Amino acid sequence: MATTQYPSFVMKQAKILLLIAIVLLSLTLVSCSAWGRQSPGGWAGTTIHDGIIYVGTGDGRVVAINSSTESLEWDYPILTRTQSGGLSCGETSVATAIYGTPVVDGGIVYVGTYSGRVFALNTSARSQDFDSLQQRYGEWKWPVDDSAPSSPIVADLLLSGSNVYVSSSNGGVYSLDKRSGDENRKRGVDIPVLANKLWTSPAILDSTLYVSTYDGHIYALSVDEEGMLSSSNWSFESDAGFASSPVIYEDTIFLGSFDRYLYAVNGTIGGDKPMWKFPEEKPAGNWFWASPVISDGIAYAGCLDGLLYAIEARTGEKLWEFDTEDPIVTSPVLMDSLLIVVNESGTVYVFDLDGELVDEAIPLKTISIDAAVRSSFCAQEGLVYIRGEDNHLYAVDIDVGRIIWEIDLAVEE
Amino acid sequence: MAVWYLIIANPILNVLVALTNLLGGSFGGAIIVLTIIVRLISWPLTKRQLNSTKAMQEMQPKIQELQKKYGKNQQKLQQEMMKLYKEAGINPLGCIWPMLVQLPIWIALYQAIMSALATTPESLLGLAQRLYSWDIVNQAIPLSSSFLWLDLGQPDPYFILAIIVGGTMWVQQKMTTAPTVDPRQQSTNRMMTLLMPLMFGFLTLMFPSGLALYWAVSNIIGIVTQYFVTGGWGYLKPRSPS
Repeated sequence: MATTQYPSFVMKQAKILLLIAIVLLSLTLVSCSAWGRQSPGGWAGTTIHDGIIYVGTGDGRVVAINSSTESLEWDYPILTRTQSGGLSCGETSVATAIYGTPVVDGGIVYVGTYSGRVFALNTSARSQDFDSLQQRYGEWKWPVDDSAPSSPIVADLLLSGSNVYVSSSNGGVYSLDKRSGDENRKRGVDIPVLANKLWTSPAILDSTLYVSTYDGHIYALSVDEEGMLSSSNWSFESDAGFASSPVIYEDTIFLGSFDRYLYAVNGTIGGDKPMWKFPEEKPAGNWFWASPVISDGIAYAGCLDGLLYAIEARTGEKLWEFDTEDPIVTSPVLMDSLLIVVNESGTVYVFDLDGELVDEAIPLKTISIDAAVRSSFCAQEGLVYIRGEDNHLYAVDIDVGRIIWEIDLAVEE
Repeated sequence: MAVWYLIIANPILNVLVALTNLLGGSFGGAIIVLTIIVRLISWPLTKRQLNSTKAMQEMQPKIQELQKKYGKNQQKLQQEMMKLYKEAGINPLGCIWPMLVQLPIWIALYQAIMSALATTPESLLGLAQRLYSWDIVNQAIPLSSSFLWLDLGQPDPYFILAIIVGGTMWVQQKMTTAPTVDPRQQSTNRMMTLLMPLMFGFLTLMFPSGLALYWAVSNIIGIVTQYFVTGGWGYLKPRSPS
């Protein structure tokens, strides 16, 4: 760029350069604030156990809410010391994002965090409001050492038998003893690293763990009696990456791909030919981001193009579809004979699977919660519990057809 | 904002992803090819700028004569120089436009890199709404951020790219900054020649290296085209102002 001899021109140039600098500096500051933001986000969903709803909040806490009294039983903040990026962001203790929905078993709540930690929280200990984790109550954290290197955990944890299986952003799959949090790994043996990063949850069938990757593979890992993982010969390879976590139904693995198809893969043959791909002809309008649910031989799959599909699980034939008009980010949920679907704009659709559903389905109920929804949700005894992106927990009564209560999950200042 | 995404940000994002697929999954290669495409599109503006630079180089003896003649009368000097530029059909500010044209591309590219590399789960999900339904695009997702020693979604930790960006920008500036006899002007020129490379070198340390790669390649293309269009290294070679 030429600089002229003329002072007024130089001044004009300097002003324009200053403008450019301001724009670029603004971008820098925006990126700094994004890296070091106070609200960690995450899309952890809800799970219900013995009348208590467990949920990861948008401000980085695990919260237990009594569904009858609508009151807070306990909460546990997940904090991480971090070195943030940017100009003025120093080391600080920040709340951590939680993407995986808590899993509950035997009074222990298991949750994976974006700081790369897995926490086992005892409901009794948490009710007593202890500051630190109580080993005597069976609480633990993995890795134990705060300074141990770890990669973000985005996927839901898988609890099976006496083990917790963890997909990590470092591409590794870890098997932890659910009682102690110890890694089920022989000394000197590396963990199986399957991809550059794993943001999808594993699925288990008998003693085989199936893991899908963003680079288009499904791998099978054998689990021995001590919970140790080892590679197996089975694998499946596709041209496009897999967007969703695998779901297993009668030896068949169902999962969505970035090429806008839903795949059904034979869990015993593997290879590179799926049993079927849906839609049969041209791809869907967007990715199948959420895992499908399968019941009575029918797969119910929500797509980011807003359509909910009912597909014959054996053949891949479309039975019916329904347009929710907004992306379906989270998996449908079955409650008795009801199929519940929530789209990203927060509209809850309820379908009666016992009714006549042919070609174009008509929902039994349509209820709006007026909040964006990206988190998985749970349903029990006619109530659906949904965490909105506004960090509120909504209880939706299917019979009444409206929200019966709503709780702000944010900590009061 | 919707217009911004429709017209600039989304096309750049999709072209980048499609190029990545064509180049066997190399996102860095796609950024380099995109840089070349952008430079080709902005070639008419660049050519005008280079011709202007060349004409200004050729006018240097006349400008220096004017400076000697009217050095003590700034107002008269300005008038005479304006007259000279007008006669030669040169707009001294014309050289700014290629840079300003590239500014929205930088912003869109920054957004595209952050979006395409999907460094957070939210950005991966957000990507779904911005990609076209082309097979070539969808089969490339998700992209690998590795290129040479760089993680294209993060700043270069070894400062190599900052040195390359700053260095190439300095060379480019130096090639086009005419010497002057006026001491005040000399110091302004010196400051301007240093300010931009330093600023961009610093920004390289702050921004994803994918964007810095665009700057570096763009500068190198700029130097090469400048060399061939203006016929040499311009004012980079030291010469006496008199």
